Amino acid sequence: MATQAESSKSFFSSPSTETPIIKLEGITKRFPGVIALDNINLEIHRGKVHALLGENGAGKSTLVKILYGIYTPDGGRIYIDGRPVKIAGPMDAIRLGIVMVSQSPVIIDRLTVEENIVLGLEKLNMFAPIRRIREKINEVSKTVGVKIDPSTEVWKLSYTQKQLVEIVRGLLLGARVLLLDEAITYLPLEEKKKFYKFIRQFADEGGTVILITHKIPEAMDVADLITVLRRGRVVGTVPVKGTSIEEIRKMMFGEKSSEITYERLPLGSPSETILEINDLWVRGDFGDYAVKGANLKVRRGEVVGIAGVAGNGQKELIQAVMRLRPVEKGKIIYDNIDITNKTTHYLRLNGVGYIPDLPAKYGVSIENNILENIAIIPTFSKEIINWKHIKSLAYKLIREFEIKTPSPETPVKFLSGGNIMKVLVSRELTAATKLLVAYNPTRALDEATAIRVRKIIKSKVINENVAALIASEDLDEIFQISDTIVVMNSGKIVGVFPADKAKREEVEHLMVM
Amino acid sequence: MVIVRRVKPLPYWIVPVLALVVGLLISMIILYVMSGGVITPYDILLSIYYGFTNVGLLAKTFALLVIVGIGLLVSFKGAIWNIGGEGQFYMGVMLAAWVALFSGFAFNGFIAKTMMILMALLAGGFWALLAALPRAYLNIDEVPVTLMMNYIAYYIVNYITIGEWREKQYGYYRTVTIPESTMFQVIDGTTITLELLILMITIFILVWLMFKYTSLGLRIKVLSSNPNLLRSSGISVQLTILMALLLSGMIIGMAGAAYLGSVSHNISYPVEEKTPGYGYTGILVAWLSMLELIAVPIAAYIIGALHTAGINIQIMGVGGAAVVNVFIGSILLTYAVLITISEYKIKIIVKKR
Repeated sequence: MATQAESSKSFFSSPSTETPIIKLEGITKRFPGVIALDNINLEIHRGKVHALLGENGAGKSTLVKILYGIYTPDGGRIYIDGRPVKIAGPMDAIRLGIVMVSQSPVIIDRLTVEENIVLGLEKLNMFAPIRRIREKINEVSKTVGVKIDPSTEVWKLSYTQKQLVEIVRGLLLGARVLLLDEAITYLPLEEKKKFYKFIRQFADEGGTVILITHKIPEAMDVADLITVLRRGRVVGTVPVKGTSIEEIRKMMFGEKSSEITYERLPLGSPSETILEINDLWVRGDFGDYAVKGANLKVRRGEVVGIAGVAGNGQKELIQAVMRLRPVEKGKIIYDNIDITNKTTHYLRLNGVGYIPDLPAKYGVSIENNILENIAIIPTFSKEIINWKHIKSLAYKLIREFEIKTPSPETPVKFLSGGNIMKVLVSRELTAATKLLVAYNPTRALDEATAIRVRKIIKSKVINENVAALIASEDLDEIFQISDTIVVMNSGKIVGVFPADKAKREEVEHLMVM
Repeated sequence: MVIVRRVKPLPYWIVPVLALVVGLLISMIILYVMSGGVITPYDILLSIYYGFTNVGLLAKTFALLVIVGIGLLVSFKGAIWNIGGEGQFYMGVMLAAWVALFSGFAFNGFIAKTMMILMALLAGGFWALLAALPRAYLNIDEVPVTLMMNYIAYYIVNYITIGEWREKQYGYYRTVTIPESTMFQVIDGTTITLELLILMITIFILVWLMFKYTSLGLRIKVLSSNPNLLRSSGISVQLTILMALLLSGMIIGMAGAAYLGSVSHNISYPVEEKTPGYGYTGILVAWLSMLELIAVPIAAYIIGALHTAGINIQIMGVGGAAVVNVFIGSILLTYAVLITISEYKIKIIVKKR
């Protein structure tokens, strides 16, 4: 071990004479009202896993989009293998051997896995016989340990499997550099670990991986080097060996890093029951039961956290509570009224806030501005919209949540992912006067912001006697915020613990049992 | 040189203005070639000039196009493509004619005219609803449905015009002229009527208020940008679709009543050849306005003027009824091409040594 650390140290202390595979020189990119990237200089070397870390809106995504030709920089130059290049579109990037895998898979649902891959190759006038595609899929499946049948239609696949298809396509395109834009951040822990192994192997065989993430542990687990971006600038590049989470946090957040802690937040003082779920049965997207007889109670003044590996019925349970999915059997009682036959609209008018999964798809309309995204919720406007009221509310939310936006009239699409999430979370927290229902409420947020959001939710629960039902795939979040921890597995509730008595090992065991 | 997608859109007036200029140039070439050199670009420019400057002649076409354009805009804003303006317009004409000729309200001009407009509103709304219901609840594409409903409307109106409602005195293929008391009142020195003008201004203001201050207006806008958000906000997507198409049809139906009261004063067979096809021309008006309400009158004025110009060229004895359509078609086509191109820009990157 000692020799390994030493050799890596000597490697980094002497500047490498090898030409970097990618070199960025003075890259600058402006968007209306903001400078996303400000004079970025960066070198990426062959055979390395290079992580780009940064808080929300730091410019990580903009940088990789420039490398992939989705954006063109306003200034600066890109060198590949020491030669200056122009990357005018993804096709150019792919020809240079750069392939991106994003967090939302870009594949066609109706086609099979093979067809999708063939289609991707055909556009580049490349050809690979089906047999070779199957071999490659099997090979990668084996390394990662996630099985895929190449002849199934894509819509039947899980999120993990779709990500794998994207990676296989990238490899068949002859990728020398894989850009992973939060591509594995949202995978279940077990599967994430399997992907790490694959990434390592790809790098060991001479490939290069650029990993974009806002999760420090993810970068520490798999990367060789970490470059931290902050407000569009490079803070620094450090080798993973010889650095610590604390050091990276300081680079990412500055003084704010001291606020980061995973201690359990103060417990609430639960009073009367506001939400009661009795023997609930709900069907999933494919017609089979996703929730199988769940029982649950949420009291005012407490946070009930639902822990579970993605795809165990949490999503369907949450949607059924919000009346966005029909209930097959059982009852949901909210505020002493059976809401099984009521609508989402009823809940909206009666003090329920809702933070859905995939915020850009279900939570906001990115073409509309912040004011419109608030006014659309029936909680805030009746038939006639009171814009004065909406505007003062918007200014209040922008101030309290530090939403970075030129103005409340800015279309949401010009905000960074984290700021979009803040618009959604702040709006729904305001709407939730009795109950907040949420699924992964801090998913797209960086650590410092995520912890602040949890604190805000918790203080609202305690001070305003609000109830919260929060499902999350992030176990740290569940342990930090909950008063009661509920474990869900295969559509059933398999454990209920008071937060101060819950043991992490026990919960983890129940989740994967 | 690289072609990249624009981050910041162009100022919104550039595309319509360019479409107009390029579309007219194309029309000039087509007309010059097709007429064997008889219609010169100079003739066209002259008749366009005449079209634009003859405000009095233009006024009624302008007002009708504004109303139909606004009607279509209401549904287009929600990404609901109402191609059925023609049908909704003629159902409005038919019901207004029924009020004027057969309802017995004609004894009082005010009551009769109010009833004409109200019935036309209901008729246009009903016709749109027939396409809106399958769109909202069965997810059946509204484009072919509204389009086909135009032909059904044509044939219903034609059937009744040469059947039950045909005038008996001379036996022409038309209804009798509506009573004097039900005719809209022409403003001196123009072709426009007072009622049509009031209707246009009222509709303009009401629709402006709707999009600016009501939840319904905002919901229609969000329907086009993200219907999923409507759903998770607890707003019925079906109802929003229904309302967008219903309102659209109602407004266009009222234009039908105004047309009967101000322009035609009877229905003559075959109806589809007796008007410039307001329901279709209105689509061009709505598009040229870039779905901005404020720009609808501008677009309507330009299209109205071109319409007059087209008629002038027909009067010159060359070309046929199709001259107007050459203008409209060239502009719409150029527009469609430009709107796609406008999302991209060409960047020239100079290599420094």
